[in-house]
Amino acid sequence: MRVHIRLHGILRERLPAEARGKVDLELQEGARLADVLIVLGIEAHFRVARNGTVIEDLSELLSDGDQVDVFRPAAGG
Amino acid sequence: MAHGFHGKILHVDLTNGQIEIEEPPESFYRFYMGGSALGMYYVLKHTPPHADPLGPENTLVLALSVLTGTPISGQSRMTAVAKSPSSEAIGDSQCGGFWPAELKFAGFDAVVLRGRAPKPVYLWIHDGQAELRDAAHLWGRITGEVQAAIHQELGDDKIEVLQCGPAGEKGVRFAALINMCNRANGRTGMGAVMASKNLKAVAVRGKARPIVADSKALNKLARWGADNLEGSGIAGLARLGTAETVMLQQLDGGLPTRNWSSGVFEGAEAISGEVMYDTILKERDTCYACTVRCKRVVEITEGPYQVDPLYGGPEYETLSTLGSYCGVSDLAAVSKGHQLCDQYGLDSISCGATIAWAMDCFEHGLLTPEDTGGIELRFGNAEAMVQMVELIGKREGFGDILAEGSARAAKKIGRGTEDLVVAVKNQEYPAHMPQVKRSLALIYAVNPFGADHQSSEHDPAYEPPGFDGFKERLAQLGLTEVQERYSLTDEKIRFALLTEIMYSALDTLNLCQFVYGPAWQLYGPDQMVETVQHVTGWDVTLEELMLVGERRLNMLRAFNAREGFGRDADTLPKKLTQPLKGGPSDGLSVTVEEFERAKDVYYAMCGWDVATGKPTRDKLTQLGLEWVADIIQA
Repeated sequence: MRVHIRLHGILRERLPAEARGKVDLELQEGARLADVLIVLGIEAHFRVARNGTVIEDLSELLSDGDQVDVFRPAAGG
Repeated sequence: MAHGFHGKILHVDLTNGQIEIEEPPESFYRFYMGGSALGMYYVLKHTPPHADPLGPENTLVLALSVLTGTPISGQSRMTAVAKSPSSEAIGDSQCGGFWPAELKFAGFDAVVLRGRAPKPVYLWIHDGQAELRDAAHLWGRITGEVQAAIHQELGDDKIEVLQCGPAGEKGVRFAALINMCNRANGRTGMGAVMASKNLKAVAVRGKARPIVADSKALNKLARWGADNLEGSGIAGLARLGTAETVMLQQLDGGLPTRNWSSGVFEGAEAISGEVMYDTILKERDTCYACTVRCKRVVEITEGPYQVDPLYGGPEYETLSTLGSYCGVSDLAAVSKGHQLCDQYGLDSISCGATIAWAMDCFEHGLLTPEDTGGIELRFGNAEAMVQMVELIGKREGFGDILAEGSARAAKKIGRGTEDLVVAVKNQEYPAHMPQVKRSLALIYAVNPFGADHQSSEHDPAYEPPGFDGFKERLAQLGLTEVQERYSLTDEKIRFALLTEIMYSALDTLNLCQFVYGPAWQLYGPDQMVETVQHVTGWDVTLEELMLVGERRLNMLRAFNAREGFGRDADTLPKKLTQPLKGGPSDGLSVTVEEFERAKDVYYAMCGWDVATGKPTRDKLTQLGLEWVADIIQA
């Protein structure tokens, strides 16, 4: 299945500049949110949203076409 | 021998032009250290009870710290403190830039300003000397012109200029102090206080670098910061500026939209740090000796909203208040509004939030074109937003009423407009939502100088999953029990208070709260202690610095107690009790019950009187502030 990933803030630099933080991942059926972080080498203390909803349980299963946003929880500024 | 400070406080009585230099002992600096702890020492002594904040009896202190001007990131900051013309409680506001370090190089640790000059003047401080100079030709002019004129007049374009701007002269309640034309002591109306003294600007220049006790150790710590910046929690801040926060808030449902009706804005991406970086960013700027370079410089040379890079670029707060608060997704218009704030000397938070409040009133039919001078003040109207910023800066038309701030304007207008105000102690909420970060409802309320987002660590640091990234640092403050999202438990309140005290220590030391802090910042609490040790040679501990932070908070709160502010002034805006609409925060609100309970717990933890919210004599005595207890008759 194909999952659409968007990395925000400094995380977008984990991808080539021309990607501007966006990448599609091909994952096996049964893949979970945690797998996205593992594949992209992102630490578990970043926050993850699936289809616009923030998800705390990263063992949640993904579906084909899902939109996954990964970002740092916002502090001051 | 003094390390890090000169031991000289400059006193200027503007009424008679008298200038004196006080030389307090080292023990004074160890006890108050700087910022508004040091500033409050003079405000409490010199400002009489119930003084007119825009009258000559209000004392304005511009305070550095024992660290300012030393070669490490995050130290070039200055605190302005005086009675606020907005709240009539204490006012307190910090700025960065090069002005703070340059004042230290000019030979002084703080400037105490009293009285009112008979005609417009500016203060020229250089090489241990100070003089008042005529400013009649500068009065009424925007910041860029004033800075250029002073540079030309004194023949040195490296002079740093702090000034009040035309908005301050007109008595805009949220007028800022501006330095470098793009750094602000934004909040609490310090620009109006300076202008009320007929003081247009304070220009500084000098060569007296502070002596550091252990240069080798300080350099090592500075190098550690530079080497570890990329892998730190502020790497994104360095690259994208505070503007990085727009999308982070949006994804969390925490981006205040249309005057706090929603936490998601459909136009967020268009005003994001990423889009700014990819389109209008000209360069990154910095403060003296700071390796982070978080400041934005933007330039727009075409279209209806052309923007001059002299005025820097919008921070996250400005992108929100002039952007999502107003439903405006035009980055050029927001950048133009930001430029106008810096030209006129306006706090962009209160300015944007006040316009958003007026838009909300207009949408509800509580204001009409008759009130606004024909302006269709609707959400999403970028042109109207920019127009209103300028009218506020000039105090013309409907801008004259909005220049009072949303709370005072609502009181004047009535008709139910009061219910749409989102402010505490007349200070508009900044762009971090207590519905999503619950402890902020409490901190915004109890903070002595009104709603402020830089007075404590925000909830995500003490909630999953963020806590895992910061737990070693939080443990240094005794915070080890991660709390559930959206909770306001006793432990979360303890987190809010302990980090508030640490932030207060940072505002006493005048350290940047992006560079130093208890969680995601470049340096942690232990490194804050090391910095003070290396610069001053003092054997300080974290406990001693936390005590200094607590001292500052109690001095600010004690001033308020003397002015009659207590528990009743620590309020929750009605709008916060109404459910948000849309996105991840849909349906979230703050209840009055949880809020009032949190206040009870907080006051008790502070050692204050729970019924009145005022510092007790016992608490003040414990902090070595018996003299303050005597003044306020606690």
